[in-house]
Amino acid sequence: MTRAAIVGRAGEPRKERTGLRPGQHAFVWGSLIPIFLYLGVFALFPMIWVVVLSFFNYSPVRVGDGPLGLGGRNPFIGFGNFVAMFGTTQAAQLFRTAMMNTLLFAVLVLVVNLAITLPLAVLVESVHERLKGFFRAIYFLPTVSSAVAVAIMWGYVFHPQQGLINNLIKLVGLTPPRSWLTDPNAFFLGVPLAMVAVIIAYVWMDFGYNLVIFIAALQGIPREIRDAAHIDGATGWAEFRRITVPLLRPTLLLVCTLTMISSFQVFVIFQVMTSGGPQNQTRSLTMEIYENAFRYQAMGWASSISLVLFAMVLLVTLVQFRVLRTDWEY
Amino acid sequence: MSTVQLTTRAPHHRRSSRPLARILTYAILLLGLAVTLVPFIWILMTSLKPASEIVRIPPTFFPEQWTFNSYQTIFADPKVPLARFYLNSTFVAVARVAITLFTSSLAGYIFAKYTFRGKNLLFGFILIQLMIPFQVVMIPAYLILVQLRLIDSLWGLVIPSMVDAFGIFLMRQFISTFPNDLIDAARIDGASEFGVYRRVVMPNLGAPLATLGIFTFMATWNDYLWPLIVITTHEKRTLPLLLTWYTSQHSQRYDLTMAASILVLLPILVVYIFFQRWIVRGVALTGMK
Repeated sequence: MTRAAIVGRAGEPRKERTGLRPGQHAFVWGSLIPIFLYLGVFALFPMIWVVVLSFFNYSPVRVGDGPLGLGGRNPFIGFGNFVAMFGTTQAAQLFRTAMMNTLLFAVLVLVVNLAITLPLAVLVESVHERLKGFFRAIYFLPTVSSAVAVAIMWGYVFHPQQGLINNLIKLVGLTPPRSWLTDPNAFFLGVPLAMVAVIIAYVWMDFGYNLVIFIAALQGIPREIRDAAHIDGATGWAEFRRITVPLLRPTLLLVCTLTMISSFQVFVIFQVMTSGGPQNQTRSLTMEIYENAFRYQAMGWASSISLVLFAMVLLVTLVQFRVLRTDWEY
Repeated sequence: MSTVQLTTRAPHHRRSSRPLARILTYAILLLGLAVTLVPFIWILMTSLKPASEIVRIPPTFFPEQWTFNSYQTIFADPKVPLARFYLNSTFVAVARVAITLFTSSLAGYIFAKYTFRGKNLLFGFILIQLMIPFQVVMIPAYLILVQLRLIDSLWGLVIPSMVDAFGIFLMRQFISTFPNDLIDAARIDGASEFGVYRRVVMPNLGAPLATLGIFTFMATWNDYLWPLIVITTHEKRTLPLLLTWYTSQHSQRYDLTMAASILVLLPILVVYIFFQRWIVRGVALTGMK
């Protein structure tokens, strides 16, 4: 919203024309009216409807007497769904588990992703132009792959007996875990092992995006700044910490936001690799929405969870705008 | 003291650390390469082993006995008419790409080059759309499809996403830099407003249209959640749906499930090899995800 205002204002500092010339009305409105009518039906209306649904105990299998199947046997319950989130029912506990899982997943993915992509981008950037293109192309390969195929593939890589990982662990003389994806009592540094496996698979699939963005940003750092740093004796770690990272700050912020937001929405890899198990240790928020809405037909409850997801995305976005603006003023 | 020391030390320091740093750099880059590629190679090799070799402990990496048995089994399976599923995925992807490119470039052109009342309001609405994840509105989107009787139809995968807010935003950004003189010259030559868009603006949008097109194609081809909700008939499944169904049918036959995964991965990898430059540049330019 903030960005909309800024772009809008910057877009027309001086008005060249005050409006459409005759003959342009037909083209402009003839094109925009169908497009915005469409958006009204498929974008605006769903957004309003999801808010409305979250105030009802709505299920499509029951027939209500009001408009859109609401009312009657699909009663209005006010903030009931949101209050229920703090309750002690099984559904509420499941929701809170999914919420905590999603937050844990998003934070760990962000940390692991940045720890890999930022240094790797510096290394890729430092090699010869030809090789740079080659490495970048290969590293980006997993991101274009079908998420379902990737999830099935990693499910097999983590197979206890035949899987690649456990056999590699055996090869170096260590004892591999009995089971990566199904043992509820297996933890690594306090994180459920199944969650660790999903995080590894997801970071493997996703790191190419941030890598490419970082490489592009690094190419934008002027040569002179690096040369000056070299003359002052800054190389290696010092250069990375004092030159590269501060100059990449806006990019870092953007990457953090995008990575967080997309981690909140992950569905496929959880659903296909673990189906949320063992004992809901990898049940994600999007799975929770899907299962409640389309398996249990509890669409009112699922809509209220959707809005929680939206609030999380909005919060991260607003924090980004806020930080960007302070930077700007400075 | 420090200046003298630094100027004498710096070159020396760099010379001594350079070969080692080089070797270390390449070692890490190659390790990354291995981590990226080995899982792909591993499932490809698995799909080429006989079932008896797969369950052996410790497992082999490369097949001792090479066989296309798993692929033949899939091709011969009457419950898996592969051509049908490839066609389903292709239809949905091509339809969505064609429609998205048209609506995005048309609306993007209008927002970039025309001034009219309510423009900022409408464009603001597009920008707000960018922030709303699909998962948030998928329940109402489903209920709308029920009303339109598009459940269990491939059109149900196309019709809810014919206008892409991100596409409009991207096109507006590109078309803003398009010279107004060219547009005005075409008008003087008697081109209609739509003619200007069709014959002057469109042909000059090769790069952004290609980028948006490839991203829409890949997103549609790999989409799982929405088809999972909309499609119920086996013959109407798209490839990712087919893959999870097939895996559930043959959960212990890793030769078959890995071969099926390879068959789903292959087309998109071929597309990637051809369009790699566009795709990588597109991400760098737009931060698209």
